[in-house]
Amino acid sequence: MIEEVFNVNLPVNETLTLRRNRFSPEDISTSTKRISIVTGIHGDEIEGQYVCYLLAKWLNANQHCIKGIVDIYPSMNPMGIDSITRGFPFYDVDLNRNFPGNTADFLPAQVANAIVDTVRGSDFAIDIHASNIFLRELPQVRISRSTADELIPLAEKLDIEFIWVHDAVTVLESTFAHAMNSLGTKTLVVEMGVGMRITKEYGQSLTRGILNLLAHVGIIERAVLPMTKTTVSNLHSEVFFVNASKSGIFIPILEHNVTVLKGEKLGEIIDPLSGRIEETLISPCNGLLFTIREYPVVYEGSLLARILEDPKEDTAL
Amino acid sequence: MKEEVLFEISSLSRNPLKVKGFRFGREGTTPSCVIVGPMMGTAIDQLWIASQLVRFLRQHELANAAFVKGEILVIPTVNPYSFNMGKNFWPLDNTDIDVMFPGYDKGETTQRIASRLFEKTNNYDYAILLEARKDHVECIPYVEVLESGMSYIEDARAFGLDFIHVKEETPNDTVSLTYNWNVWNAKAFSLISGKKGILHKHEANKVFDAIVRFLVKKELIDFSTFEGSHGNLVMPNDVEAIKSSAAGLFDTLANIGDSVVHGQPLARIFNSLDGTLIQTIISPCDGIISCRYDYSLIFQNAIAYRIVKVESAQNNL
Ligand SMILES: [Zn+2]
Repeated sequence: MIEEVFNVNLPVNETLTLRRNRFSPEDISTSTKRISIVTGIHGDEIEGQYVCYLLAKWLNANQHCIKGIVDIYPSMNPMGIDSITRGFPFYDVDLNRNFPGNTADFLPAQVANAIVDTVRGSDFAIDIHASNIFLRELPQVRISRSTADELIPLAEKLDIEFIWVHDAVTVLESTFAHAMNSLGTKTLVVEMGVGMRITKEYGQSLTRGILNLLAHVGIIERAVLPMTKTTVSNLHSEVFFVNASKSGIFIPILEHNVTVLKGEKLGEIIDPLSGRIEETLISPCNGLLFTIREYPVVYEGSLLARILEDPKEDTAL
Repeated sequence: MKEEVLFEISSLSRNPLKVKGFRFGREGTTPSCVIVGPMMGTAIDQLWIASQLVRFLRQHELANAAFVKGEILVIPTVNPYSFNMGKNFWPLDNTDIDVMFPGYDKGETTQRIASRLFEKTNNYDYAILLEARKDHVECIPYVEVLESGMSYIEDARAFGLDFIHVKEETPNDTVSLTYNWNVWNAKAFSLISGKKGILHKHEANKVFDAIVRFLVKKELIDFSTFEGSHGNLVMPNDVEAIKSSAAGLFDTLANIGDSVVHGQPLARIFNSLDGTLIQTIISPCDGIISCRYDYSLIFQNAIAYRIVKVESAQNNL
């Protein structure tokens, strides 16, 4: 059932509306489990739209399997999505830095507040992001260290390539995921693909993973699928960042999602005017290239790649 | 005066970004004060204030070498790129430099800018940031001190501005320049004024006078000025946010700095298609308008005005 969860009138004959599609069984009790699938908080990240579509399509066709509540929220920043704008249009702010929001603040904070209010009470939530337009990402779940024990087992059910456990910076306290986790909703953040695009196989694979998770927690009745991927977390290895030290045009040499060796060439920064190579980028470790720069123009500092180091063997010691 | 390029960032297609500092007095002497201009490329008032300050200090130092008694560093802006394009934030990825502190010299471009700026500014006794508000408002000049800076409210009074706002810290504040100056034991102040995009000389000159007064009172310059205001302390609860209940064309009837009384009409909102008057916004309290929505189209539930309530401001004297 499609429901409106927030409405605010805009100046010229339009209403900004947030919508969800709720799938639920005929009988609901207090023990009925509920999950919220949220995406589109960043308006230039479209990968989640496809996942919502596939999930809704599956649930439409398999009504008899639904034992819990599945709420699908595809576009939490509707004007952003409509205008290829990452932030909240007119205000130029990142909605995902304004949670839990406030009704006595500017519109983005009111929208954030409405999202929290409507998702509140869910047992689980998944917030799907694409990367921005600059980077292409292998599907990954990002979890802050403080919630790792609780969330890793859940994330593994998504049958995803990589679980990145990071040390939270305080600024992440203003994200949707943090707000929901502190309200008792176990919330996973998925990052995958690239901004402004849909990577079909990632969407299909995440949808299968979400259905798998739903089956595990008893929201749908369905045979749990065998895992197809080896999920790795970085608890026993490091993530290396490769940043540009020169400005120019970045030309990657390697494909995304490959294993690289320490010292291997990742790409070059070139200068079209002089015809010179400004910098040659080299892998700092052996590991998995899970992030690669998609947008070619770079400044000093621009992120070019992230590599998950191969797990250290002596972790037991 | 010494004009220095504090650091630079190269670019593929533009001139290098050069961040300039103007140093007065003798480096390393006390008391010392750093004044940093706007990081947002539409904060024209603040650029005016900073540049007029350089002019003022240079003229007086030329006339009298002993004019500056300590050390003063003025950095009119760190973001000329955005100024030259009429953009708020960093042109390539639209990030706000003021959420990147204390910065990271091996990180993203804006983190590197933050890191280099911080390195040059973190050893001063007093540190002043010139800011425009990030939302769409016009406001009377005020000093903002973070809650963690409550111990030097008396110093804030040296500016002689009418209002000293104490800002409740949010997780986002931990990555601001003023917060990080505080951490490094500088007494840090934000001077907030004006409206983005145009020069309001009247308000801007008030801020300029306030800085000169501060430099006099803190014995950084040998000069005489008028006494300013005692500085009303404004705690978060002392400000009434007045929201619109309708959306449409916004016709303002009251200005920033106006004293208003309970029941006074502040603005009218008209239907943007048929011209019907749909709301008259009425003041719910007695006080002074500190901040006004500055765009002629308004959303439903937008904050139209902020009023510093009379009774509470008196309690904090
Ligand atoms: Zn995102």
